[in-house]
Amino acid sequence: MTLTIFRAALLQLLHDRGALLLSLFVPAVFFLIFAEIFATAASDQVQVHVAIVDEVRSADSIRLLAALNSEATVTVISGVADRDAALDLVRRGTADVALVVRADGESLATAAGLAAPPLLLLVDPSRNVAATVLSGQLQRAYFTALPDLAIGRVAELIGTEFTEFSPQQQAEIDTGLAGLRESAGEGQRGGWSFEELLEHENVAGQTAALNHIAYYAGAVAFMFLLFAAAQNAVGILDDQAAGILDRIAAGPGGVTVVVNGRFIFLVLQGMVQGTVIFTVAWLLYGVDVPGNFGAWLLISFSAAVLAAGLGLLLVTACRTRAQAQILPTVVILIMSAVGGSMVPRFFMPAWLQTLGWITPNTWALEAYSGLFWRGEPLLALLPRCAGLLGAGLLALAVSHLLARRLVPP
Amino acid sequence: MSALLRTEPLVVVRSARRRFGVRAALSGADLTACSGEILVLLGPNGAGKTTLLRALCGRTRLDGGSIRIAGGDPADPAVRRRIGFVPQSIALWTQLSVRHNLELFGRLAGLKRTDLQAAVADTLEWSGLAARAGDVVATLSGGMQRRINIAAGTLHRPDLLLLDEPTVGLDPVARNEVHQLLDRLRKAGMSLIMTTHDLVEAEALADRVALMSAGAVRAEDSLAQLIGRLFGSDQEVVLMLAAEPAPSIRDALRDARLAPTNEDRVWIGRLGSGLEHLPELRSRLIDAGADIAELRIRQPGLHGVYIELTGQVPHE
Repeated sequence: MTLTIFRAALLQLLHDRGALLLSLFVPAVFFLIFAEIFATAASDQVQVHVAIVDEVRSADSIRLLAALNSEATVTVISGVADRDAALDLVRRGTADVALVVRADGESLATAAGLAAPPLLLLVDPSRNVAATVLSGQLQRAYFTALPDLAIGRVAELIGTEFTEFSPQQQAEIDTGLAGLRESAGEGQRGGWSFEELLEHENVAGQTAALNHIAYYAGAVAFMFLLFAAAQNAVGILDDQAAGILDRIAAGPGGVTVVVNGRFIFLVLQGMVQGTVIFTVAWLLYGVDVPGNFGAWLLISFSAAVLAAGLGLLLVTACRTRAQAQILPTVVILIMSAVGGSMVPRFFMPAWLQTLGWITPNTWALEAYSGLFWRGEPLLALLPRCAGLLGAGLLALAVSHLLARRLVPP
Repeated sequence: MSALLRTEPLVVVRSARRRFGVRAALSGADLTACSGEILVLLGPNGAGKTTLLRALCGRTRLDGGSIRIAGGDPADPAVRRRIGFVPQSIALWTQLSVRHNLELFGRLAGLKRTDLQAAVADTLEWSGLAARAGDVVATLSGGMQRRINIAAGTLHRPDLLLLDEPTVGLDPVARNEVHQLLDRLRKAGMSLIMTTHDLVEAEALADRVALMSAGAVRAEDSLAQLIGRLFGSDQEVVLMLAAEPAPSIRDALRDARLAPTNEDRVWIGRLGSGLEHLPELRSRLIDAGADIAELRIRQPGLHGVYIELTGQVPHE
């Protein structure tokens, strides 16, 4: 009898394609997505896109950059005009990080922490991993490509600090030590390290932590907007099963009013959800929603329109309530994983980041990122919002066509 | 049975045709209905009753023929506002109160906001639901839910109310309550077209019946007219057997021009002119080996009309 129950459960699973999809297909897809993300993040196969500006163009800087260019994990974006252009590339996400060999710092040959370091990294806090990887690759390039500089400086250090010297030399050492002591007294570090060559500058100013919060607020908001929209849109199928759709279809408004009415409800529901999440982000974490209220409202409205349209589309594409409980869940989970709602996009390998652009999650996230990270002006956000709105309305139009199937002709 | 209003028909269907793939759901159906009458659509499953109802409320476009309601096309939203539709299922938001349901369906039927409250109050009153207006629909009895289901289709005071099996699944008491409700609507001057498989209900309610089969209306008239036309002075004989008949007895019953009902032991037929033929019939059946429990004659009813016109035994 136990085996009979086992067989009954097995048969039910095999006959329920939705349950089968959730039990077998979705876990496998999720495993693949997250394996790709974390394997890439944990391996040395991270591809870092670096915007490079050489303000010095000395023999040393050219040798260093050529060596860096030959590193497998570094993809150099060349032809960047100046520091501002590099900054812009990082803010837009075209480059993960920018490297400036700066004219207003010490030279690569003589850097000793006495002035601004010769190398400047422009870092988006959301892509700290990229900056860390690049620092390591820079060290390797430096010691590989400029051994004369590196060893010369080490020999000098040893010569001044570790060998036996003649009295005359000792006097000179004493003078040097006095000089070092004086330098130390003035807050300058003695000795030498690669760090003296390199300075990190946060392209997002002082709001690094806030950017992460803003990212997750957008990511979580949009994913839940989608789930809530699909969940509520299932009501259309409930109305169909109860005969309510049949009744309304016989009235003057027809099924059109059912879809439109539900759509407006879902948009408002999305706006309220987005407001709650960003209010928490503002009150508890200081994300500057009030300071960007107009643009935030526009993005949130556009995102709510898209989520509402997609929710309706996913549900009206189903023929039964059972299907509608599975299909939207599967699609939204996968879109959210690929689109950056679960794991930040900057952790993902390049191909997955590219793939993310086919998901609405990425479009919504990029719109929020444009506002809260990159500080894009309203005008720059308009095309993104237009994209969200357009896609949402297109999904609504298709939902109208699909909803016609829900009532018999 | 109320007197028919002999005015211009409210509903006129002429040669309505509609195919779904290879199947002809309507194949030249004709129908008329007047204000202040109940017209019951009868026929076996697949006869085209539901398609005709949907065409009447403008949902189903015809391939040919025409439907006019008060002179207009039911696809026209202005004409649709004159039609009410009551689905077979309890098409209500059962988690909401009676009042909320009526308000929402009133708006969906095209009622203006200013007219809504008066219409809801009026509907609650005549349907006997006023005392339960605040109750959640799911907590009410099946009979009461049926009444709300009907009331929700009448808020906008339609000229024509279409009902798809409005009493299915109800016990006799609840069914009687629904019948009273429908009678009130008829007396208020509304035209009601309803489908049912319950011939007793049809006999009790219908001013006229329309019998459909294979997508066409085979006959449409008052029951008395139909009986007169089909049976003349003939009477109907009802035979009840003590046990289920063997195949040889079935053949003998058919030879005697009797037809089975849904119950295998009950057979019905026509008796030429009167009682004088009954002993002869009885002898023939006994000779064939039939174990007769009851044999009686009666005036023909809708059951006989149904069999005569559709050639099928009704599913009651």
